[in-house]
Amino acid sequence: MKRISLIALVFVSVLFFKANAQEPTTDEKLTEVNDKINGLTERLANDEADLFKLTKIKVSGYMQAQYQYFENPSVQPNNYFSLRRARVKFTYEMIDGVKFVLTPEFVPGNLSVKDAYVVLNDRWSKAFSIWAGKFNRPNYEVEYSSSSRELAERSTIIRTLYPGERAIGAKLEYNPLNVPFHFQLALLNGADGITINNASGTNLNTTENKDFDNYKDIMVRATYNLQLGNFGGLDFGAHGYFGSYKSNALKTLSSNYTTIEDVKFGDAVKRNWAGGEFQLFADILGGLSVKGEYIAGKNASIGYSPVAAVGTTAAIPGVANFQNKFAGYYLYFIKNLGKKNQFAFRYDYYDPNTDITGKDVTIAKYTSADATTLKSRVSGKSDLATSTFGLALHHYFDDNLRISLNYDIVQNEKVGSAGLLTEDYTKADGTKVIKGLDYSNVINQNLLTLRIQAKF
Amino acid sequence: MKSFNIKKFAVVAILLGMVGFAFAPAADRITVKGSDTLVILAQKWAEVYMKSNPNTAIQVTGGGSGTGISALINGATDVANASRKMKPSEREKLKARYNTLGVEVACAKDGITVYLHPSNKVTELSVKQLGEIYKGNIKNWKEVGGADADIRLYGRENSSGTYVFFQENVVKGDYAPNCQTLPGTAAVVNAVKKDVNGIGYGGAAYAEGIEICKVKKDDNSPAYVASAETIKNNQYPITRYLYMYLKNKPTGALKSYIDWILSPEGQKLVVEAGYFPIK
Repeated sequence: MKRISLIALVFVSVLFFKANAQEPTTDEKLTEVNDKINGLTERLANDEADLFKLTKIKVSGYMQAQYQYFENPSVQPNNYFSLRRARVKFTYEMIDGVKFVLTPEFVPGNLSVKDAYVVLNDRWSKAFSIWAGKFNRPNYEVEYSSSSRELAERSTIIRTLYPGERAIGAKLEYNPLNVPFHFQLALLNGADGITINNASGTNLNTTENKDFDNYKDIMVRATYNLQLGNFGGLDFGAHGYFGSYKSNALKTLSSNYTTIEDVKFGDAVKRNWAGGEFQLFADILGGLSVKGEYIAGKNASIGYSPVAAVGTTAAIPGVANFQNKFAGYYLYFIKNLGKKNQFAFRYDYYDPNTDITGKDVTIAKYTSADATTLKSRVSGKSDLATSTFGLALHHYFDDNLRISLNYDIVQNEKVGSAGLLTEDYTKADGTKVIKGLDYSNVINQNLLTLRIQAKF
Repeated sequence: MKSFNIKKFAVVAILLGMVGFAFAPAADRITVKGSDTLVILAQKWAEVYMKSNPNTAIQVTGGGSGTGISALINGATDVANASRKMKPSEREKLKARYNTLGVEVACAKDGITVYLHPSNKVTELSVKQLGEIYKGNIKNWKEVGGADADIRLYGRENSSGTYVFFQENVVKGDYAPNCQTLPGTAAVVNAVKKDVNGIGYGGAAYAEGIEICKVKKDDNSPAYVASAETIKNNQYPITRYLYMYLKNKPTGALKSYIDWILSPEGQKLVVEAGYFPIK
């Protein structure tokens, strides 16, 4: 019995001492916790550093899916769904004052780069910035994002003068602190998005990343924001375009179809215009705005010189360069309806040739004395003015989602009499309608667009 | 589909939209979001106002001035509290979405206070010294008359109006990369309380349990602590207005609330919260 008791005592003692030996002291526990906290703090600091780098990258973008119905009988198919935009914008601002922007577009069947530029801000006065790359041309409607725009498309004149909106070049911006004045001066390649055909109809201006010629175009825009107290504000300004294309022909015809000028290959064919703009914002019944712009000047398209037809000595007649005096404007009225809805209408007008009226079209013509070296040039559809009355209603489900109904009523300038200017067209069933479109009447080009936009 | 049907459809849809939404009644529910500097005061305003106006429900949240202004632009709040002025880029977004320039209401004044640990020997700094400290050019307290110890910087996140105001008016450049950004002025005060070599900045209302550093305009000027008197006399060099931004001119319950905030009763709460009245 004594022996069993002794063994039990030894066993309990061993257990007791073992238990005591394993139990950490308070200091040890504290050290362990401290070590853990220090480890976590170190990890957190590393994670914060990584996170800080990530916060320098901003990703935004938007997608627009739409259904369109065209009333113009010559448009086939006359109704379809399409993806108008699928863009993601990456902005990387590693250090204060240097920003990189890249915007790829992922429309089905076409991957393209919309924006790709670097912005260097002056770190001293913080008023100047230099842009280089591919960016929006300095113009109000061009720079106003289509994700915010109140009508489905930009005005006709803006789409004509600035196709694709962007251009490659460099820009200086001046935005002084505390003064609501903004100034932009851009030097651009100038031929971005322009078609310049040769004698066989091939577009010579297909290299998007290079200039077509050695001439650089200058754009300048200045605006001022005027506060009108409790009423709202008035922004106003002007912009000018001073550029030229390289002549690819030996003649330049004016849009009056009578004046023709001798030029050399490579001479500058001028394209100069100027415009004035305003945007009035009024805090009336939930907010409304009226915006407008008028632009007039001289644009140009490039012809080509006569060439020998393949396999013959006969010459294919050349086409003269063409300089057209134009004018156009747009006027928006936009009204907010509560927090979630917006109504807008816009009237826009574009006359590509102010030298002649609709009654002169097909009558005004230039006939070369030597028909083998220069094609006769007859005024036509491209000289007719277009006016568009657009109506739109938007509903904002939230900050990200907008649904829009847009209806454009399009009117063309009419020619003098029936049969002077006509076009054939093909119906959906394949039937050809000869001279079905007569420009002595208004050709129905009205368009309905139902669009849903997701933005993030 | 005949063309006149489409025209009719478009016109009817637009007219229905106008009639249906133009006169939507405004509810007596006000949401306020934004500046963390203002959040305590804004909550106090809401609490007191709702007691005497039980039909008005006011919801106040923080998040920073930038967050509040973003919420105003995207329609998520009626009022954006901001401890800085609205940026031109933010105003452009407001124009694009609501066709207004917004309404700015200055509702209080604040002196941005510089917090130090009570054991710190340094008691005053010039605006230039503060700028150099936060840029990381002055790294040790002995360079400004303190102990030989590294300066540890605490500041706000870049969505904070205080961050922007302090950067534009004091730092005048980039913050030092080792400046620890913290979510809210209370967190900055707590960090400085626990760190003998710490320095922080924020609204005057939060300055409890720490040493308030006197600030001088330049080396030759006297140093001041932010107070009603020094702010009124333009002696304290880092002062700013605190703002409320609205999309449109206020009407109905919102107008009554704003009017009350600017009344002596509302401005009395400004003083109680540790800020300074606008008049």
